[in-house]
Formats: sequence, C-alpha cells, structure tokens
Amino acid sequence: MKVVHYLNQFFGGVGGEEFADTPPNFLEGPVGPGNLLNQILPEGSQIVGTIVCGDNYAVENQQDIVSFVNAKVKEARADLFVAGPCFNAGRYGMSAGAVCEAVKSESDIPVVTAMSEENPGVDVYRGEVLIVDSGSSPANMRDVLVRIANLGAKLANDETVGPPSAEGYIPQGFLRTEFVEKTAAQRLAEMLMAKLKGESFEPEIPVTTFEPIPVPLMTTEIAKAKIALVTDGGLVPRSNPDNLPRAFSRVWGAYSIDERPKLLEEDFEVAHGGYDNAHVQQDPNRLVPVDVMREMERSGAIGSLHEEFLSTTGNSNPLENSRRIGREMAQRLKEAGVDAVILTST
Amino acid sequence: MRLTLAVHSISQMDFGSKTQLEGTRLQIDVEELRRCILQDRRLQSVDLEIARPGESCRAGYVFDIIEPRAKEPGSGADFPGILGPVTPVGQGVTHVLRGAAVTVVDGGQPGGELGYESRRGGVSKILEMSGEAAKRSSYGDLQHLVMVPRAHPDIKRHAVLNALRVASCRAAVFLAQTALSQLPDSTLDFELEGPKSGNGNLPRVAYIGQIHGHQHGTESDEHILYGANTRGMMPTPLHPNEWMDGAVVISYSWGARGLETYFYQNHPIIGELYRLHQSGQANFVGAIATISSDQESEMKRNSMMGAQIAKWNLGADGVVLTKYAGGAPHTDMFETARQCEALGVKTVVLTSDTASDSRAESALLINTKEVNAIVSHSEGSDVRFQLPTVERIIAGNSEVADIMSGLSELTPAALCGIANNQGASRLQPIIY
Repeated sequence: MKVVHYLNQFFGGVGGEEFADTPPNFLEGPVGPGNLLNQILPEGSQIVGTIVCGDNYAVENQQDIVSFVNAKVKEARADLFVAGPCFNAGRYGMSAGAVCEAVKSESDIPVVTAMSEENPGVDVYRGEVLIVDSGSSPANMRDVLVRIANLGAKLANDETVGPPSAEGYIPQGFLRTEFVEKTAAQRLAEMLMAKLKGESFEPEIPVTTFEPIPVPLMTTEIAKAKIALVTDGGLVPRSNPDNLPRAFSRVWGAYSIDERPKLLEEDFEVAHGGYDNAHVQQDPNRLVPVDVMREMERSGAIGSLHEEFLSTTGNSNPLENSRRIGREMAQRLKEAGVDAVILTST
Repeated sequence: MRLTLAVHSISQMDFGSKTQLEGTRLQIDVEELRRCILQDRRLQSVDLEIARPGESCRAGYVFDIIEPRAKEPGSGADFPGILGPVTPVGQGVTHVLRGAAVTVVDGGQPGGELGYESRRGGVSKILEMSGEAAKRSSYGDLQHLVMVPRAHPDIKRHAVLNALRVASCRAAVFLAQTALSQLPDSTLDFELEGPKSGNGNLPRVAYIGQIHGHQHGTESDEHILYGANTRGMMPTPLHPNEWMDGAVVISYSWGARGLETYFYQNHPIIGELYRLHQSGQANFVGAIATISSDQESEMKRNSMMGAQIAKWNLGADGVVLTKYAGGAPHTDMFETARQCEALGVKTVVLTSDTASDSRAESALLINTKEVNAIVSHSEGSDVRFQLPTVERIIAGNSEVADIMSGLSELTPAALCGIANNQGASRLQPIIY
C-alpha cells in the first residue's frame, strides 16, 4: 500500500507561524510524524511521499494546493491519502479537509485525516472525509496515528469500518440500521431512569440545531409590495406536470395564477401523503389563498399578487434537499422582484 | 386494579374434530369456528388456515395480529365496545394462549399502488413463517390461526373493515375460551397502587401513548378505544391494565406500519414500566392514551392536556412517550414532551428514523432542545430481507397472491413483527 501524506509547515519541519506562507513542496518518503506512521502502517505499506505546505498559503490558495496534491497523488499512484493529524489547528484542519475531499473525488482512493472535535474543519468535512478524533493534545500522537493506520488499511482493503466509538473517528452523521440486543422499550426505560437520576445519557438521534436565519427587513410598504404565495402542501395543477411525489420530494414547481380570480377545484390536485388533504381538494384556495389575496389586491391592501405560486411536497424531506429547494425558490422569487412571501405549510 | 394473566403455553395448533386445549396442544373444530365468525351477516365466507413456525408459508396483507385471550367469567367482558356493551376491563383473571396468534388477512385489500381511501386497513403488511425474516420477527415462532374473512360484494369498505375487526376479536376469544376451565402454566399479576400511592421516594413514572394519528381520519364505525373511533378525543387517563386487557385495539390505519393489537396486549413499554415498578426502581403511576391531530389548535390543546394530566393528576416525575405511525404524530408527541418538560416532568420519546437520505440530521421531523432523550427505532429502509420461495401463500385475493408469490426481498417495514412503534423493535439506526 502506497501512502501520500500531507503536513503543514510546522509538523513538516519548515518552521512556525513565520513560515505559514510557504508554498507546497513534495518530499520523497516520510517526514515528521510520518516517520512514526510509517512504522505503524501494516507490513508492505509505506509513505512514498509527503506534501508540506504553509497554513496561510493553503487556506488562501485552495485551488493551487488542491491541484498540487491531486497531481502528486496521481504521480505516486497512491492507494491511501493521509492528512495531519491537525489537532485543533483551524487553518490546518480546513486545508487538510479540503485536500482530502479533493483527492477522494479526483483519484477515488480512501482518505483519512485527524482533528479535535472543536476544529472548524470537522463541521465542514466530516460528512465526506473520515476524521479520526485526535483530541487537542499532540501528546496523543502515537494513539492517533495507530487509529489512522488501522482505518486507512481497512478502507484500502475494502473492509467494513466499524462504528465511530469503536474505531475512534468522529461520527460522519450517516445512519445504518442494525439489529441490537435490547428492544426499544428496554432502551426507553433505561434512558428514563438515567435522566431521572441525573446520570448522563446519549440520545440515539442527535438533536439538530439550525443556524438562525435573520428575518429580512421589509423595505417596501405592504400596500406597494408584490406578494408571492409559496406552499409545502403539494398543490399542483391537474396531471401534476412536475411529478411531485407524495413524500421525499426532490422537485418543486412554479404554477401560473395570472388572471385567475381564485383557484378552481377542477384545475388542481394535491401531491402529498402526509396530511388529510380533503379540504384542499375541495377548495385549493384554503392552502394557496389566491381568492383572499385578489380581494386585498383590489382593495389596495397589498401592491400585487405575484403571477405564479411555488409548491413542493414537505413530507419527510431530507434537510439538505429542503435547503436546496428553499434556496432555489428564494432565488426565483428574488429575480422576479417579489417583496414578501406567504408560506403555507401543512 | 389487579389483573392476573393466566398463561397457557401453546406448542401446537391443529384443526380437529373438537375445539379444545389438551396440555399445550390447541385443537380447533374448523366448522364451529366458521359458524362463530359467520354469525356476522356482512361476511359471506372465511378461509381458515394454520401457519406454524418454520413452515414454507407467507400470509398477507395482514389486517391485525391478536393474541388469543378470554376473560374468566365474572372478571369482565372480552373486547368491550367491540363484541358487546362497554364495561371496564383490566381486573380479574384473563386466560392467555401464549405462543398462539390470530392473524387476520384483509380479503378486500387491493394489490397495487393506491390512493388513500382504498388503502385503509393495512399497508402491504406481510407475515413470513420461514427464512431470515421469520427469525427476526416477533411473530415467527408463534402458531398462527390465519383467517381471511370475505364480505358480501355490496358491503361498503368501512363496514368490511368493521367486520374484520369484529371477526379478529371473536376468533381470539373463541380460541382462548378453551383454557377457561384449565389450570394455567403460570400466572402474572399486574397491580399498581395508583397515582395516590407513595411507594417511598421512588421516581414516579408514567406512559403517554398515541392510539391513532388523525392525519388519516377514522371511520364512523371504527373501533379503537372501548369501541370509540377517537375523533375529537382528548388525552384520557387509561390504566395500563385496561390497555393490556382489551380496551384498545389498533386503528385501520393507513400507514400503521409496525402496530398490531398483539403489542397492546403485550405492551413492551407498559411491561418495562411494570418491571421498574415491581423491582422497586420506580413507581409506575399510570398511563395516558392520546391521539395526534390534524388540526393545530387541537394538537396544542391535546399536548397541553396530556402534560397537565401527567403532572397534576398522575404526579409523574418522568414519562415515556410514543407516537402512532407517520410524521404528523411525531410533531404532537414532541409538543406533548416539550410541555411536560416545561412542567418539570422529564421525558423520553420513541421516534422512528425517517431520513430518506440516511443522514442523522434528517432523522427527526422536529427538533426541540428540551426533548433531548430520544430512542429511535428504524423502519430499516437500508435493510433487505431475502425471501425464500414458499410453498403456501395465504392471500386476501388473487391479485395480492400474485404479488406475494413474486416477492424476492422486502424491507422490515413491510414485514410484521420487525419494525414496531410500540417498543418491541430491535432495529436501531446507528450513527456512523
């Protein structure tokens, strides 16, 4: 197994912070912590080359460092790419994550790095890159390198990688269904007792926190504003032209309401399997209130109603997918000069 | 309130000349059972078969699975509100045929991908008696009386479903009445001192369980709680013994994956809370039955009232909450849990993983920082069971028979007894 290793200027022996602008350099064989890793790697494996790059250079010239690393990995015909360990060095973690991700997608070989959980590189790259939990102290170097070597060998040999706690890497956030010894009821009772006694417990699914999105300032008077209607209740024209599914939707649609005084029952249907939509089928205006908005348009309460409504199926959608749909919808509305949106959810 | 389960072990089920229990062998006079089921004039026929552990047999689509049970005369009625007038259950002696099941197959369930109305009454749930799926299923080692009641063609769908419900309960009682005069193999006692009791300084624990999700409304004649269809229901204190003893059955429930009346009778969570109580680790003070709603105002009201009852009527320090199948019930459960936490009642919730992208961040439909104790079962969309070719298919109709005979693999959600919303499941989503 041929390994290419990436280090920053400090661990690569170039120097401290004053050498952080050093451009990348390729050296034959192992360097710095690579010497220890080389001993730990399984028989027949070796570090064939080491790329050393200054932290500032790597962060400020990401395209350059990615191209440099990709080229060297290909030249060396590497079977495994290792970066770090970076511990809690932020710029080092960010560049290690970036080069690992690039090598994985460009050369399709396994990649491993190591960081502390607080390293900003973790949040950005944990989903794509296997990151060994290094803690923050370089005193753990040997233990961290052992885990890197084990994981690297398993990945390179296509062996099954065990769960994060057993292998010592930071969870990537993927779910795999497994049969376990205890029933859900037994686990519930145990967790309840732990919580009641004030003992620690781990939720089986982590509670996700969302970055706050500031409410934009309304700069137009409402009486002059163009208002759009958006729904995740799955209202679509009859025959469902965009094939919105009843759940897990990856698509959304924009449908004209220009000239319509209200939505007619015979023109629309609902693509949504997660709520009782009989009322919407009877009167689509109760989900997408075109009738009321037209009245407000006539009375001058609002400037105008945007000429189309946007619709998707908000039913068990993956978050990443929902974020994309939200961004695409916002972009379309922004380009159309919409000032405000009424979002109806079911 | 003291309930004694008189447990009779069943190791063999056969059709024979007389309906009787001899030791652990249950013999069924098939014609006598047929007459019992067909006293419901909405039904024109019923197919009756036995499916045993390990047999090369597949049955579906399953309407419900019930454990055969019958109340000792004088102890109360069997399935009150369904088989007769409403009278209380949860006390006295109930005879249980452990190791046996009545499995009802829906003869009117169409085969393909269908709209909401026609799918009520089970969503392609299949019982496997052989292979890996049977080994993993809670039902794989039971002796099943599988029945397929068939209604007259002019009977409306809601009445057909009602007839299936009545037939399922009738058959369960019919079988278990064979045990009435016999000595059980063992007895299990369930008794709580109730919310007023002290039981030392032990933490007081309770259960709040949803018994229907009204994002899919119920029929006027649908039986769920003492015969009620639970429309407009508010949270109701329901003694755990009532829950186990025939007061509650599952709804027809489009999407009721992993819910069977069998696991109300043998409720895994009520069982665990009783275990904590009987071993002196906690004081189990009671249970609350509730629903999830399709109206936001009702959801808020029910969540508040569920929490209020737990706090002020039961005096609970901690509660376990479960939801009915689906996503909307998830929201109601989390809101109820949030309101409990706000009152100082600690909560643990049972969710199901709904992440279609297998990402942990997508697994919860709602995130509330106060609701931080989460147990999750998985519907196992990333797990496939390879199905053997089977010699015998017990299907509701020929369309379903064709589908079932062609199956080569299934996910856990489509199989009875593997994914479960009542706490019985051993499928867990592990974070990698």
